[in-house]
Amino acid sequence: MFRTTIMGLLAHRLRLVLTSLAIILGVGFIAGTFVLTDTIDAGFSQSFTAAADKIDVAVRSKDDPLPPSLLAKIGSVAGVKDAQPVVSGEAPLIGKDGKTVGELVTAGVSFPSYRLDVTSGKAPASDGEALVDTSTARTQGFRIGDTIGVLDQKNVRHDFRLVGTFDVGVDQSLAARGAVAYTPATAMRMTGATGYAEIDVTTAGPSRESLRTAVAAVAGSGAKVQTGEEVASDLAASNGASTEYLKVGLLMFGFIALLVAGLVIYNTFGILVAQRMRELALLRCIGATRRQVFGSIMLESAIVGLVSSILGLAAGLGMGWLAVFLLGTYQPDVEVPTGTVTLSPQTIVIGLATGLIMTVVAALLPARQATKVAPVAALRTQTEEHTFRAGVVRIVFAVLFGLAAAGLTYMGVTAKPDETALMTVMAGGVLAFFTVLILGPVVVTPLSGLAGWLPGRLFGVPGRLATENSRRNPKRSATTTIALTIGVTLMTFMAVLTATMRATADQELDSQFPADYRVAAQTGDIPHAVAEALRGHSELATVAEFREVDGKLDDEDYPIGTVTSSVLETAVRPKATSGSADGFKPGTVMIADYVAKQLKIKVGDDVRVGTAKNATPLRVVAILDSQSLLPSITVPEQFFDERFGKTDDNQILITAADGADLDKARAIVDNATQPYPAVKVASSTEIRGQFDEAINGILSVVTGLLGLAIVISLLGIANTLSLSVHERTRESALLRALGLKRGQLRGMLTVEALILGLVGALVGTVLGIVYGWAATTTISESVSFRLPVGQVALFIAASGLAGVLAAVLPARRAARTSIVGSLASD
Amino acid sequence: MTTITSVRSAVTAQGLTKVYGTGDAAVHALRGIDVGFATEAFTAIMGPSGSGKSTLMHCLAGLDSVTDGHVSIGDIEITRLNDKRLTLLRRERVGFIFQAFNLLPTLTAEQNILLPLQIAGRQADQALFDRVIDTVGLRDRLRHKPSQLSGGQQQRVAVARALISKPQVIFADEPTGNLDSRSGAEVLAFLRTSVRELGQTIVMVTHDPVAASYADRVVFLRDGLLVREIEQPTPQTVLDTLVALEA
Ligand SMILES: Nc1ncnc2c1ncn2[C@@H]1O[C@H](COP(=O)(O)OP(=O)(O)OP(=O)(O)O)[C@@H](O)[C@H]1O
Ligand SMILES: [Mg+2]
Repeated sequence: MFRTTIMGLLAHRLRLVLTSLAIILGVGFIAGTFVLTDTIDAGFSQSFTAAADKIDVAVRSKDDPLPPSLLAKIGSVAGVKDAQPVVSGEAPLIGKDGKTVGELVTAGVSFPSYRLDVTSGKAPASDGEALVDTSTARTQGFRIGDTIGVLDQKNVRHDFRLVGTFDVGVDQSLAARGAVAYTPATAMRMTGATGYAEIDVTTAGPSRESLRTAVAAVAGSGAKVQTGEEVASDLAASNGASTEYLKVGLLMFGFIALLVAGLVIYNTFGILVAQRMRELALLRCIGATRRQVFGSIMLESAIVGLVSSILGLAAGLGMGWLAVFLLGTYQPDVEVPTGTVTLSPQTIVIGLATGLIMTVVAALLPARQATKVAPVAALRTQTEEHTFRAGVVRIVFAVLFGLAAAGLTYMGVTAKPDETALMTVMAGGVLAFFTVLILGPVVVTPLSGLAGWLPGRLFGVPGRLATENSRRNPKRSATTTIALTIGVTLMTFMAVLTATMRATADQELDSQFPADYRVAAQTGDIPHAVAEALRGHSELATVAEFREVDGKLDDEDYPIGTVTSSVLETAVRPKATSGSADGFKPGTVMIADYVAKQLKIKVGDDVRVGTAKNATPLRVVAILDSQSLLPSITVPEQFFDERFGKTDDNQILITAADGADLDKARAIVDNATQPYPAVKVASSTEIRGQFDEAINGILSVVTGLLGLAIVISLLGIANTLSLSVHERTRESALLRALGLKRGQLRGMLTVEALILGLVGALVGTVLGIVYGWAATTTISESVSFRLPVGQVALFIAASGLAGVLAAVLPARRAARTSIVGSLASD
Repeated sequence: MTTITSVRSAVTAQGLTKVYGTGDAAVHALRGIDVGFATEAFTAIMGPSGSGKSTLMHCLAGLDSVTDGHVSIGDIEITRLNDKRLTLLRRERVGFIFQAFNLLPTLTAEQNILLPLQIAGRQADQALFDRVIDTVGLRDRLRHKPSQLSGGQQQRVAVARALISKPQVIFADEPTGNLDSRSGAEVLAFLRTSVRELGQTIVMVTHDPVAASYADRVVFLRDGLLVREIEQPTPQTVLDTLVALEA
């Protein structure tokens, strides 16, 4: 039996290539994920070890910074060769445009340092010298010798001579923010740090352990004293968490791909068994037991699974290498240290196990089917048509799953929007998918009719024959298309979700404050002079100042805020979950819903607002939606001024006057903020643009990753088609004899693939839209649902096109075979 | 063999040679055959197994390429045509009946019958359709799929399909090979009727002397050569000729 299996496999190796490819891609993706994250992890721990290698003992601050006096004390401990302080704080660097650089505040650090390496120039030697990190120097176009400006704690500009650039090494936070380095003393002065974040110590001889004990005795309880090894493993552990996210995220897509591959394999084995009915029956005739037949198919699947998984591992190694390479080539700004690419034993075990198990499990049902072949089937000449009738069991299951799906979805949609509601909807979605899976063979026939309507009309006889062919084996077509459905569903789902989120955010912004410009400070507050400079221009309709200070609400610490009172009636339209902002007048207060929930406050209550020493009772008139732009505790402006004084602004929102020249309006805002480097202006289009960019970025990454599942399902379509072509060799020959041209025969198969692709896409988009909608209802009460019609249409068209692509090879093969040979073949 | 030229021929072959493979493995299936098939006549091709009957038929019908020689259907020399022209020619002028697997399983009997016309984009002649259907007696089976028809009925559908497009010639390769003698006799009777009444030209390959006796003329092949022919055959004369050839 073993021999027969092997011989059979070798004889049909071509038709197994596509199946193997599906497994290879799935396993390859999973293995590739491990290879990538392992490589990054290895790279990180290498650099951590390297970084910590120079440090023998580190004294790290726990809560408060280490007092500067500690440095000298540690320096005089016996066995200490050298002790260097690590200062860390903010250094708002001013860029070429006169504004502070980047979204996040640039970090301020000090040299000398065991952690950072000077890459060009020299370390700062005097108060007037500074360095910036290589990446910031490149993006900002700073050169050694330039003068750079940095703001101090009071937002006063100080100039430094740039004497070099440095590498931030393994510090992810420094890499993200960018950094300026000074001498320790300047760093303390500029960042306003009152002490050191860390003191790094090298040994003059004693072992790290004994030096640690000696240093710890001096450092006191306010510090954590570690050896270099301990620091390295701490860093590696905190960083491991971030590659863990990457790994889990990628693996999720890997498993989706594997699921699709499983469907493809299930279908392929199903077709192979159906085609080999006579062969199997012959085996039964000459004495093979059911068990042997079953075993033979399982063995075949195991061999295919194992071989493909091994190839998959190789593919994974390649993909991992490619990802590492691309990361290094196209993302030089992201400082990801990468080691040498290797397959770890764990990756090998996981890759082989998933590939093998999935293949064998997918072949179980077809193998069971094979054991049902009666020996007498060998004697029948006419191949039976696979008529399909929906059995009672199928209908019962479909109804049960359908009801459960509908119930859960309804519950989730009608429930209060929160995470549980989302989970409920998602569970409903999974059940709905199973319902579709069960009902597939029933619905695929009418759907093929629908999808084939136009091709049937356009392409005449080949079109109509194709439609018939796509419907002749509903089970097969259903499994083939459902594999595609998975990918299309998830893509549509994401598209709907992101479109809706974007629309909702836009609408939220529009309805609450239709601002054209937003002025905010990167560090500190916005001086009053800015708002003053903005007032009195006819181009600007409203200038709303938002202010906030630390205060007390019913003796609890809360920020208290206010907004320019005149704009409350006109421009800012806060959304209240209970009560109304209309009643907001002196003596009242509006409170955000989360605060109200924490303190169990409701409309009509009196609360005490102010400072610890001086609090005034105010009447609550409205509980505000937490997405409202207003401060969490909003008091009338006059009350705020009396209690807290004329404090600087946190944020200024500006609207241009109707019909005003927008260029002029922008110029006014830019001029008003020009003297203050930390005060930055963003227009609503810029804010939306950034938001859109972020969302588009996520969407394209997700779509790209789901692309793998789509590719595998296309292999499935190609596989099904080529097996069908093989099965219908004589039919094709007959059609050719009757006068069907080669091109028409090719066209026929192409249309069949097109129909399969369209059916898969249709089901997928419907599922994706329904569950995209359902999911959006669980995000917030007031979503403005958007159907990205263009994108969905694109998915459908692309699926059809992909189906056509999948048909190219099988169709060519069908058209090439000789009529005479095919007619004679058994 | 000189009698051929006096009758108008639907299909003629001159010096027809077919060699499969090359070198040592070469099989000379046809070794220079000159033959003509008269219009509105029913001709049978007989010969021992492996004598080249199917090969001859495939070459005559333009389903297979020839190694040497010429084949004409009507006034068109098909040995010069490329695949596309050949396909178009088959559509217009040739009908086929195979031993098995004649019908598309997805189509009903009626759709199968009309298939060649649809492929050619032609309209069915309703009167001819009715006459053919009634001749082959399939009126009440038109909506059935092939799997719901008996083997004899399936072959009759195939005959109807070959007739409906009024081809210049119908080629049939052992059309009754899979049928019992009664169904076989029915199918053969239809073929003869269509020659007599519809003026159809039919060339049929067969092993069965009884089947051959329905024809107007029988040609005999042996080892790729045309070795004998008889007119107005009876089962007995055919059998006698076969026995004589075997000797
Ligand atoms: N594709 C092929 N390749 C090689 N040889 C072939 C091929 N087809 C037929 N032959 C050979 O050509 C010769 C004639 O074959 P053909 O099928 O025409 O015989 P036949 O008279 O139809 O026989 P049967 O009565 O058994 O159908 C045989 O020797 C056969 O082996
Ligand atoms: Mg033959």
